Amino acid sequence: MPAISVVNLGKSFRTKVRPEGLSSSLSSLFRPSYRDIEAVRGVSFEVEEGEVVAFLGPNGAGKSTTIKMLTGILRPSSGKALVLGLDPSRRRAELARSIGAVFGQRSQLWFHLPPSDSFRLLGAVYEIEPKDLARRRAELVERFGIGDYMDVPVRKLSLGERIRCEIAASLLHDPRVLFLDEPTIGLDLVVKREVRALLAEIAKRDGTTVFITSHDVGDIERICKRAIIIHHGSVVVDESMKELRHRSLSRKYIGVKYASPVDLDFGAIRPVKRTETAASYVVDTNEHRLEGLLRALVGRGELEDLTVEDEALEDIIARIYKAPKAGEAQ
Amino acid sequence: MKGRAYLKARKYLVAASSAFRERTAYGGSFFGSVLAYGLFVFVFSRVWAAAFAGRADISGYGLRQIIWYFAVAEIPSFAFGGSFWSLSQDMKSGQVAYLVSRPYDFVAYSYAQGSGRALANSAVLFAEGLAFGFLTAGAPPLESLPQALCVLAGLAMAGSVQFLLQLAIAMTAFWVEENAAFFWIFQKLALVVGTLMPIEFLPAAAQRAAWLSPFPAMSYVPARLFASWGGGREAARLLGFQLAWVLLSALACRAIYAVARARLTVNGG
Amino acid sequence: MRTSRLRAYARFLGASLAVNVQAVIEYRVNFLVQVFGMMLNNAAFALFWGVLIGKVGNLGGYGFSDVMLIWALVSTSFGLAHVVFGNVRSIGAIVQKGELDLYLLQPKDVLVNVLASRTVVSAWGDFLYGYIVLALIPGMDLSRLALFSLLSVSGAAIFAATFAAAESLCFFLGDASGISDAITEFLLSFSLYPETIFDKGMRWVFYTIIPSGFIAFLPLSILKSAAWLLVPAALGVAALYAAASYGFFRLGLRRYESGGQMGTRL
Repeated sequence: MPAISVVNLGKSFRTKVRPEGLSSSLSSLFRPSYRDIEAVRGVSFEVEEGEVVAFLGPNGAGKSTTIKMLTGILRPSSGKALVLGLDPSRRRAELARSIGAVFGQRSQLWFHLPPSDSFRLLGAVYEIEPKDLARRRAELVERFGIGDYMDVPVRKLSLGERIRCEIAASLLHDPRVLFLDEPTIGLDLVVKREVRALLAEIAKRDGTTVFITSHDVGDIERICKRAIIIHHGSVVVDESMKELRHRSLSRKYIGVKYASPVDLDFGAIRPVKRTETAASYVVDTNEHRLEGLLRALVGRGELEDLTVEDEALEDIIARIYKAPKAGEAQ
Repeated sequence: MKGRAYLKARKYLVAASSAFRERTAYGGSFFGSVLAYGLFVFVFSRVWAAAFAGRADISGYGLRQIIWYFAVAEIPSFAFGGSFWSLSQDMKSGQVAYLVSRPYDFVAYSYAQGSGRALANSAVLFAEGLAFGFLTAGAPPLESLPQALCVLAGLAMAGSVQFLLQLAIAMTAFWVEENAAFFWIFQKLALVVGTLMPIEFLPAAAQRAAWLSPFPAMSYVPARLFASWGGGREAARLLGFQLAWVLLSALACRAIYAVARARLTVNGG
Repeated sequence: MRTSRLRAYARFLGASLAVNVQAVIEYRVNFLVQVFGMMLNNAAFALFWGVLIGKVGNLGGYGFSDVMLIWALVSTSFGLAHVVFGNVRSIGAIVQKGELDLYLLQPKDVLVNVLASRTVVSAWGDFLYGYIVLALIPGMDLSRLALFSLLSVSGAAIFAATFAAAESLCFFLGDASGISDAITEFLLSFSLYPETIFDKGMRWVFYTIIPSGFIAFLPLSILKSAAWLLVPAALGVAALYAAASYGFFRLGLRRYESGGQMGTRL
């Protein structure tokens, strides 16, 4: 049984249209006009147990709406979702015992109290036996290195300390699937790294299925094995990180620097940037043989530096985002 | 020199009119106070009707007078009611550190803003009170233009004392973090002394004590002038009492502010 | 199975209240100020009634101790509702800000979970005030105290049910805070005064949408005549209100749109 299975999932919101101008505002009081906004349309995918999946997309693509339908917060308008074999909108409470969630800036820790109090309350919420709770808590405190913060009011913790406690709290009931919605938003580089390392470790050690939405390509590169990209409410890419990277293989970024000025043009291949002694090129290897260009570059003069790079993951994803809406004319 | 003085006064007028316009920008924002005031006046009109059952007079007031009294007495406290909370918040959040560096008199500027806002509130509530009074108690006990002018002056001064004393209490935030306690006590005393019922209802000793306090200036005076006109001499005495308290509370505000400001500069905000 | 579920819920409510109390006590001075402030507020009205009834003897058949008993009942019920279910008048705001998400992620009933996750500090003052008044009224004994407490539980349930239903309107209307505030004002204003001062024509309201009758007037007569037999009826009415309110919330919850989209303006 897959951990998550989604078939043709759709969600539309009905929004009141507020017209401009006083007279039309008044008439809309009595006869409001609505507009349906399709946030998610016909999304389908499956996630196996133990998989670590990145769920990507630009702002407003429908990422959060999808994750909210998977956790039982929102009811789908169409289609079907099953998480651990349960329909989230019908069996929310039952499902909640086996899933965990970290929702970006929305904390489940009590702001004015130390995390240990919140942990105790969560123990009662998830009906964990006090003995199991103590064991689980000790384990998480050790793994996350949060022993020093457990008795300090949350408001006095740094953002990094807080997010570590936050993730530990979401794991207290030993969930089989962990949903994370923008877990590193607003964090500095060092803390981001810590959080990524923790998440990677959770997935590896406990075999927890991890489903993570993010803007931050760094999150995905470090943790995930597979990426689902959603755009304008539909899935546009669903492949392993390896395959996603392969998309870049036909594009190479080449940089050269010579000791003295040389001619930097090669017929069809022209530099995208150049100075007297240096240049960079973008080469499509389907059109030009890389080897020939490299030989030519070496032959032009005394080389001080030569770099050949793949297209960055960030740029690949940006290219996908820029693609026009499905069904629209190019 | 007239130009200078005009420029000086202008900023306070602009502050007051901006606050007035902000308050009136959205009609729905009056909903809460209009409803609360209306409900309060309605319920108390029933309370008084029951209290006057088979009785023409309580401590010199008739039923009609007491309903009008109540409708007017509530206006200053409803119009200025929560000034304390936002003022106190400004003090605590350090917002005031920015205000002190501006080229105006802090107390006067706050007063201008508060009055602008309250003027909008009072106008709406006064209209509501008049309409309600007409429906339940008949024509208002207004006999002459001078009486009407005295009532308006009384209302303006009642509001002023309300606001200035709330400002003074709010400024204690510089010394006492939980200064809400002072405001609670102030508000409840104001409620009992002259707002829920005329001061004549209180026991004699309490009446004597009341006149040593600012509370009669905060709601009793305009309500009394409106509901039970006792002639020009009484009016002059009551308005004089109010004026004294307006000046006293303004002076108190300035004194507290001066001390607080000295502290602010010493501590660097 | 059922009893273990009940025990789990009891444990959860206990833990919730404990966390709430700890959070409140973090700010000790604020707690005391609010509690005493609220009692002072109520005492100011007691002074008014003392003076007024001192002058006119009784008001619509209510003596001073009757009015004080009404205040005791209403203030303890109102306080209890907000001590245990502190979020009862914040549901609308929580829904509109999309903060219901957090509760939907947890394996507990959403309404109970939301309601119980806060306590209102000044409500502790209201809650205590009723008992203080009771202690000051002559002729009170343990059995009256028990009766008073039971009636307060039913009153608290009706308060909470009415407020929760009014707040749940936000699922259907978006911002319903105006209506909800109005219902709160009405319910409190009408419950704190003798029933007899209002016209007969409007009294039916007190036994339907503005249930002052079930919160104040009926409990007062039960308390005065020690009519223990009527207690199950009072609790039954409270249960009916609670069930109706719960159903209404569930109905609204189906339309919950989480954050983001709800604030969309076109």
